[in-house]
Amino acid sequence: MADARTPPFRLNLGRFVVYAVLLFAVCFYGIPLLWLLLAGTRSQASLFADPPFTLGTWDSFIATWNNLTTYNNFQIVNWAMNSLIYSVGGVALSLIASIPAGYALAASEFRGRKLILVVTLIAMITPSTAVVLPIFLEMNLLGLNNSYAGLILASGFFPFGVYLTYVYFSTSLPKGVMDSARIDGANRFELFTRIALPLARPIVALVAFFSFIGIWSNYFLAFVLLSDDKLYNLPVGLTVLISTSGALSNLPANDVPIKKPEVILAAILVILPVLLIFIVAQRFVRSGTLSGAEKG
Amino acid sequence: MSAIADTASPTAPRDRARAARRKGQRDTRMAYLLLLPYLVLLIMFGVFPVAYAFGLSFVDTIENAFYGLANYEFVFNDFRVPAAAVNVLWFVVIWVAMTMVGVATLSLMLDSVGRKTATTLRTIYFLPGAVTSSAVVVLWLFLLDPGVSPFQGLLHAAGWTYSIDVITGIGLAGVFALMAYFSSSGGWIVVFGGALSSLPTEVMEAARVDGANRFQLAIRIKLPMIWRSLVLMGILSFAAGLQLFVEPQLMQLAGPQSAQNDWSLNQMAFQYAFRMGDFGASAALSTMLVSTSIIIALVIVFATRFYKID
Repeated sequence: MADARTPPFRLNLGRFVVYAVLLFAVCFYGIPLLWLLLAGTRSQASLFADPPFTLGTWDSFIATWNNLTTYNNFQIVNWAMNSLIYSVGGVALSLIASIPAGYALAASEFRGRKLILVVTLIAMITPSTAVVLPIFLEMNLLGLNNSYAGLILASGFFPFGVYLTYVYFSTSLPKGVMDSARIDGANRFELFTRIALPLARPIVALVAFFSFIGIWSNYFLAFVLLSDDKLYNLPVGLTVLISTSGALSNLPANDVPIKKPEVILAAILVILPVLLIFIVAQRFVRSGTLSGAEKG
Repeated sequence: MSAIADTASPTAPRDRARAARRKGQRDTRMAYLLLLPYLVLLIMFGVFPVAYAFGLSFVDTIENAFYGLANYEFVFNDFRVPAAAVNVLWFVVIWVAMTMVGVATLSLMLDSVGRKTATTLRTIYFLPGAVTSSAVVVLWLFLLDPGVSPFQGLLHAAGWTYSIDVITGIGLAGVFALMAYFSSSGGWIVVFGGALSSLPTEVMEAARVDGANRFQLAIRIKLPMIWRSLVLMGILSFAAGLQLFVEPQLMQLAGPQSAQNDWSLNQMAFQYAFRMGDFGASAALSTMLVSTSIIIALVIVFATRFYKID
């Protein structure tokens, strides 16, 4: 691609500023994550005494791991399982609800369609944190707080998923195929299961991606709805570990085995699943976030 | 013959209309069947909680009696509420400004360097998005602790020895804005990377032929083309920022001296329900917070028409 008109590489002031700012941003975004991943292998003493980017030893990592996992009768394992249950349940429910709904809004005309679309948009733009306390008040009325079912049901409500599906089917449903299937005698439900669902694979992945990230890292709703520590998810559990051990407060030492390295390892457990998914599926963010928003 | 024609001609259109209506009804029934699970959730976790909180805000939940506007009066007379409102506004102003300037600058700069470099850097900027909710606060409590922080050189240079020095030095609103910016901006940079790369190349070519340099290209051509999306990002961040809860709530993890239990408005609503058992006051404050969000949403949907609904 190098052609004769490409000027030779010159470091003028403009270029220098661009690269300096980009490099500064690399430090800002990159150093904390790199530090966190390395710090998970280090001992408490090393965290204070050694330079920030020291790699710990295998032994100190294993000691930290054992302290963390066995603490309080394998409590963190229990929380990780809970996080998995909430995520799988919540993602499944959000898919079951949003894929057919988005299809119905895109593929048919019916009374009330516009109203449902507008309400969905409002629910999607309203930050989910705004309704956490109202949901708590409601769950209190229904007796559903402090249960797996309550949190799964609440996290299955995912209007963004409905909107993404609606936009996807509005632009990708082949009208010709739908019509000929209808002439061949397929009823409306078969149109959905035979034509739309096989086409839906990319949108199922996209909705599952956004819904999983939201549910896995949900702190506020879980914190408010759950009061039994056996039901906590990992983000809430992480904070309980810290407040019961005082690991971050630099107060006089106690005999709780949860110190800074254990807290760091627990924090890594909270972010690792999302981090791995991000590395694989960065493009989803690009195709999802502004989808349907008009260009420009 | 004529009898048949006479009876057939007026009924045929009527039959057709009836058939169309029946088909329409079947379509409607099918649509609602497909929508059913979602509508149940929408009512349970969208419409009902908001309506219930609204109703509850007029009830004295301790005495169980109609209370008029007394809950609202109580909330407004609590001196912590206006203080929390000021805190949250400061946070929102700093965070939205950081987000708009930071995301626009980095996105435009990435668009002007080589594609491979840009892709790698964008991924680095994006990964902190995985650090959310409680984990982002925990990570930043480490980053702001001069004893262990990878930025300890910087913190020491500023003359800070303990976390508390750093936190008071930067200010709580600034600390929370840093936390929120760190985990939320990378996703937007990826989004704007996509938006910028899909801008029409003819326009860029034409501008370049006219002698525009990289800087002019970025400011005069590209920025105006992504301006609407940047504003949308700003409004969405503003709406989300007003609901701030997790960051101040978790400051207590750094020790009792750092606890901030009534710093934000949502924390106050939480305090009313959980510390005082006053669900009515909690409902009144929540109702005001939700209404603000809904008004912002209505503006986005109807006044800016960012999202297509047909």
